Amino acid sequence: MEDLNIIILFLFVLFLLLGSGVWVGLALVGVAWVGMELFTTRPVGDVMLTTIWSASSSWTLTALPLFIWMGEILYRTRLSEDMFKGLAPWMSGLPGGLVHTNIVGCTVFAAVSGSSAATLTTVGKMSIPELRKRSYPEPMVIGTLAGAATLGLMIPPSLTLIVYGVTINESISKLFFAGILPGLVLAAMFMAYVAIMSRVSKKWNPDAEPPLTFSQRVANSRFLLPVICLILVVIGSMYLGYATATEAAAFGVIGGLILAASQGSLTWKSFTESLMGATRTSAMIALILAGAAFLSLSMGFTGLPRGLADLIAAMELTRFELLMVLLVFYIILGMFLDGISSVVLTMAVVEPMIRDAGIDLIWFGIFIVVVVEMAQITPPIGFNLFVLQGMTHHEMGFIARAAFPMFLIMVLMVFVLIAFPELATWLPDNIRQGPG
Amino acid sequence: MHGIRRFLDFLYTASGVAAALCLIAILTLIVVQMLARWTGEVFPGAPDYAGYAMAAASFLAFANALNRGAHIRVSIVLNAVGPGLRRLINIWCFGIGAITAWYVTYYAYRFVSFSYKFNDISQGQDRTALWIPQSVMLFGMVVFAIALTDHLVSLILKGDHRIEQDRMEQSFGE
Repeated sequence: MEDLNIIILFLFVLFLLLGSGVWVGLALVGVAWVGMELFTTRPVGDVMLTTIWSASSSWTLTALPLFIWMGEILYRTRLSEDMFKGLAPWMSGLPGGLVHTNIVGCTVFAAVSGSSAATLTTVGKMSIPELRKRSYPEPMVIGTLAGAATLGLMIPPSLTLIVYGVTINESISKLFFAGILPGLVLAAMFMAYVAIMSRVSKKWNPDAEPPLTFSQRVANSRFLLPVICLILVVIGSMYLGYATATEAAAFGVIGGLILAASQGSLTWKSFTESLMGATRTSAMIALILAGAAFLSLSMGFTGLPRGLADLIAAMELTRFELLMVLLVFYIILGMFLDGISSVVLTMAVVEPMIRDAGIDLIWFGIFIVVVVEMAQITPPIGFNLFVLQGMTHHEMGFIARAAFPMFLIMVLMVFVLIAFPELATWLPDNIRQGPG
Repeated sequence: MHGIRRFLDFLYTASGVAAALCLIAILTLIVVQMLARWTGEVFPGAPDYAGYAMAAASFLAFANALNRGAHIRVSIVLNAVGPGLRRLINIWCFGIGAITAWYVTYYAYRFVSFSYKFNDISQGQDRTALWIPQSVMLFGMVVFAIALTDHLVSLILKGDHRIEQDRMEQSFGE
């Protein structure tokens, strides 16, 4: 039982470092070091550096800063006004009215940004005041925004999926395409909820919109065209095999710069801010990835992943039961850790289990993204809740309650994904093979 | 004292700007490589150079990201306790952080010096002498370790670590 004691010590160090607030990347390095010292006699420091260097200097990773930069550029444009003005005339006729601009707006912006917080801010900046002006019920406005913004993580480009792909060595383009249909289905489920609530709820009494002719609607949404084109170029170039994920990201950055310049919102200040912001965010993720690479090496020596996989195999769980266990596990983990950290921290342990159970790793990427998305809108650390708190000055409890129905819809989405795995696997199986 | 302060702040900013330039270099390399492919030319080693620029962009920006509160940490405990205890926990965090960073820095130094001594050449088409891109990583690590130590010292002496935790900045990773 000596081994068990050492493993408990190892896990204790992990919880101690992460829980006390040591920066996640550095904490992972520290934990990995302890693991190596406990379980091997190899010279730890030199192995550590080789691992960190090869994890940090990989070509696949370059998609990450470029997609972040693209999102940062568009975040600083006039897009949020254009989005609301362009979408509102088309949504006003639907049951649920302009609340749908939240959901569709988030879906569109999610296709140019990999970040859920950026999606939330861009769409919410304009739609919150406009919807309030028309006296839509406040919990609806806030809840749908919190929920739909998490699509930023699922619809490509997605930072979480890049990190997942780099961690388990899967094609990032494939993961991106796996996310498209489930993302759209989730958006449709949010919209269906809004439509139903608008019929059922007694508090639903928004002001009517002035009717617009078809040509007026088109005129109002002409500003959205450039963004749609950009999305088509970025995603289409990957789908048709003209470009790798990194190259598509480069298209995105250049397209974003052109778009910002043509609107007149590209100044030296906004350019440097977007560049420095992207550099910092990408460095933050790179530090976590470097630490995680060393930790997964160290985990291998502890025998923990293999042991757990065997244990799970011995329990003879069905695939469904295993997924339910993981669902609960990630929801709990999400209360303490952000999505990217949860993914990199657990993949070394979870990957062998998933492979043994015969679960497709591309499909599992989408599963894990839906599940870590939920953490974005659940207290205590849901990022979207904090961002919304900053924007609306509501109490945290109010925002969390408003977002709770969206949480339930996402749980439902997990079951939809389990029942219809083709949602995630069909598109990636049908991409045209591209360069490398 | 004042001179050291100004030098350190300059060091963090300069290395952050250098990181941003590396990001532009990645973009340029990828665009040039695509243009080369379309016109039937070959740009040997472009993926390797982009990889080196990626490592450089990350390591050079660590300190800048730290100062702007962009690195993610679990702050539940820190937010729950009073100011006295929070200071102690922060001293522990910066202490552990600084020790880890200096440890990595020391081995990064060994790593680079071995590459230099044995004249390690990249396995890719670029044939780069590896100590060159690796020493950028070493430099970034040194600046990061200095920044952590700098905050630790000011936390102990002045009671504050000069970092503004920026949730907006952190949340962009998600």
